[in-house]
Amino acid sequence: MIKEGTLHLDSYRLASYAVQVPCYICGGGNTFDAELCRHCCAPMALAHQANTQKVRPRMVAAIGTSGVGKTVYLGMLMDMLSRMPDRLQLLARGAFSITLQQITTAALSRGEFPDKTPNEPDRWNWVHAQVRAQKQRHPVDLIMPDMAGEALLEEIEHPRSYQVIRSLLSQCGGVLLLVDASQLGSGTLEQDYFAMKLLSYLIELDEDPKTGWPSRPIALIFSKADEREDCFIDPAAFAARHASGLYRLCQERFREVQFFASGVAGSCAYRNVPKLGRVRVPLRVEPRGIIEPFEWLIGRIKS
Amino acid sequence: MRVKIRDLVTKLKAVPRQRWAWLSAGVGGACLVFGGWWNSLPLFGIGAVSFALGALWILGWRTSRAAPAAAVAAPAAPAVVQQPRAPVAPEDTEGLVEQMLAQGRYALMLRPQVVANLSPAHRDRTRDELTEQMAFVPAGEVELGPWDEHSINPKEEDDDAHKSVYRVDAYYLDRYSVTNRQFLEFVMAGGYEQMALWDAKILPAVIDFVDQTGSLGPRYWRHGRYHEGSEDQPVIGVSWYEAMAYARWVGKRMPTDAEWVKAACWPVPLGPGSRMQRRYPWGDNMDRERANIWGSGPGRIVSVTEFGSGVSVGGVYQLVGNVWEWTASNFGAGGYGRPELVLPNPMKSVRGGAFDTYFDNQATSQFQSGENPIARRYNVGFRCALGACDVSFSDNGEAAEPEAELQEAGA
Repeated sequence: MIKEGTLHLDSYRLASYAVQVPCYICGGGNTFDAELCRHCCAPMALAHQANTQKVRPRMVAAIGTSGVGKTVYLGMLMDMLSRMPDRLQLLARGAFSITLQQITTAALSRGEFPDKTPNEPDRWNWVHAQVRAQKQRHPVDLIMPDMAGEALLEEIEHPRSYQVIRSLLSQCGGVLLLVDASQLGSGTLEQDYFAMKLLSYLIELDEDPKTGWPSRPIALIFSKADEREDCFIDPAAFAARHASGLYRLCQERFREVQFFASGVAGSCAYRNVPKLGRVRVPLRVEPRGIIEPFEWLIGRIKS
Repeated sequence: MRVKIRDLVTKLKAVPRQRWAWLSAGVGGACLVFGGWWNSLPLFGIGAVSFALGALWILGWRTSRAAPAAAVAAPAAPAVVQQPRAPVAPEDTEGLVEQMLAQGRYALMLRPQVVANLSPAHRDRTRDELTEQMAFVPAGEVELGPWDEHSINPKEEDDDAHKSVYRVDAYYLDRYSVTNRQFLEFVMAGGYEQMALWDAKILPAVIDFVDQTGSLGPRYWRHGRYHEGSEDQPVIGVSWYEAMAYARWVGKRMPTDAEWVKAACWPVPLGPGSRMQRRYPWGDNMDRERANIWGSGPGRIVSVTEFGSGVSVGGVYQLVGNVWEWTASNFGAGGYGRPELVLPNPMKSVRGGAFDTYFDNQATSQFQSGENPIARRYNVGFRCALGACDVSFSDNGEAAEPEAELQEAGA
C-alpha cells in the first residue's frame, strides 16, 4: 500500500546552513546554530553578539600557571565592577558571561576556592562584557576567557595543541599575567620560569615592534600577595628581588609592562579532601589590588 | 566643525606620551639643524627648547618604566609630633590620678584593692570614665557557631554539630576600638620596654615590633607616631601580643570569643536551652548604612565614632565593620565554626569584619576568622574587656555588679 503525504521543504534552513558563520576567535566556519566552534571550541555566541554590534569587541586574557588564581581574579573582578561601578562600569553581554562571577563568588562566600578550571576548552567560562571607564565617552566591548593553566602550559610546550589559545593570544590587545607571589617569596623559581615561557611565547606569536607584543600592554600581577605584604608596598621591587629573570625579560623585550600586587583571601587554612589531599581554603575574603591592573590595561589597549 | 575639533582633540589625547616625547625631540632636533644652517636664532632657540624637553621627557619615561611606582602606596600623611608626659612624683596622688585618667588607665584605679584609697571626687570621676568608655554586658548564655547557616548541608550534618553554648560572666567591653591616640599613650609610656606586660615567650620578638621607620610601635606608624588625622581611627598593624600588652597596661584584658559574640548577638533567653540571637548587632538583616564594609563606606578605615547607627544593644560601636578585632581565644578551638580546618600554624580568632570585607555573611556577629598572632595586618585592630568582678563600685572596695546597668540591659 502506498501512502501519500506532503513533506515541507524548509529551504530557508538549507540556505542558513549553507552560509558559514566565522568563529570570532579562530575565524573557522561554523553552522549558524552551532553552540561551540568546531575548530577551537570557543562559544559561537561571541560571534553572534559581535555581528550585532558596530564595534568589534577587543580581547584580553588572564594567563598564568595552574592554581595561580586566574578564575578567582577574573570572577572577583567581574563581580566587583558590576557591584560598584565607581571607576569602571561592567555590564555582561549575555547570560553565559555571568557564570564565571557566579561560580567564583558562590564558592568564596561558602569559604572555599572555586574548583580548578577543566582543561577542555568547551568547559571554559567566557566573559563578553561592555566596559566603560569614567573618563571614556565610548564603552569598550571585551572578551575574556577563563583558561586552564595546564592547557596554557601544554600549548607552550607543544604549539598548536590548543588552537583556541593560539588564536586568542594572537588577537589579544593585552594580557593580565598572574604570578604566585607566595611561591616566589618562598624561593621557588617555578613561577619565574613559567612566566618567562609565557612572555616568550607571546613574542613568538607576534614580534612586530609596533603592532606586536613588544608594544602591547602587559599587567604583571603578583597574586596571593596577602601572604607577602612587602609585595603590596612595591611590586616592581618584589619582582626584581624574587623573579629577576622575569624582571629582566620585561625590561628588555616589552615596552608596556606594569607590576601589580593583588590578593583576595585575607588569611588561609587547609582542609583535607578525599582524593584531592590538602586543599587551601580562604578564612575571609577581602579583595585588594583587583581593579587597578585591569583599569591600567584598559587605558592602554589600542583600538 | 566643533565635532571634528573635538574628535581631533580626542585622537591627540589618545597618542601615547612617549610618542609625543619622541616627536618633540625629533622636531626640536630638526629645528636645531635648520636653525644652525640658516643662521636663524629664533628657530635655533625653539629647536633647543623642544629638543631638551623631548629628551627630558624620554629620560623620565625610561626611568619610570625601569622602576614603576608601587600600585599600592603607603600612607604619606605626616606623623604626629607629641611629647611624652612628664613623670609624676609618687607622693603626688592628685597628679598620678590625673595622669592615669588621661592615659585611659581608669580600670586600674577601680580595682577593689585600689578604689578605697581614692578620694570621693576621684572615685566618681573614675566611675564616670568607665561607664562612658565601656558598655556593660550582663551574664548569660551565648551560642557560638555555625558561622553561616547556609554552609551546613542539612542532609549530612547534624544542626547542633557546629554549635557550642557558653556561659559568660558579666563584663565590660570598650564602646570603641582602641584608637591611635590611645595607643600612643602606651608607646610614649614605654610600653614596649616594660617586660612585665609581655608574654615571656614573645619577648625575643618584641624588638621586631617596629613601624615604617624602625621605631617601636604599630606597623604603619612613622617615628613612633601615628599619621596626622588618624588619631580617632582604630590602631592597626598591631599583633595579638601587642594588643595583649596594651590591655594589661590599661588594666584590662582581651575579650574571649564568647564574650565578643555575646556583646554583638545580645542573646535573649526564650526558654530552657533556647535563645534568640541577632545576626548583626542592630538586628537580623544586613543594613549597609550601619557598617563600614566593602561597598558601603569610603573604602578605608574611618573614625571609631562613625557609623553610629550600627551600635549594638549594649551601646558598643562598630562591632561589625571598619577593622577586624583580635579576641583572646584560639581560632578553631571550641568545636564551633569550622572544626575540619587544618591550620598552618596556631591562629587567634578575629571577629567583626573590616572596611574591605566583601561578603555580608562574613561580617556577621557569628563569623569567625583566624590570623597568625604575630601578624600585623592593615585591617586588624582590637578592643579591650574588663570583668565586672574586677572593678569595685562600693567605697569599701567590694566588687559588685551595677544594678542600674543590669536593669537597663534587661538582665
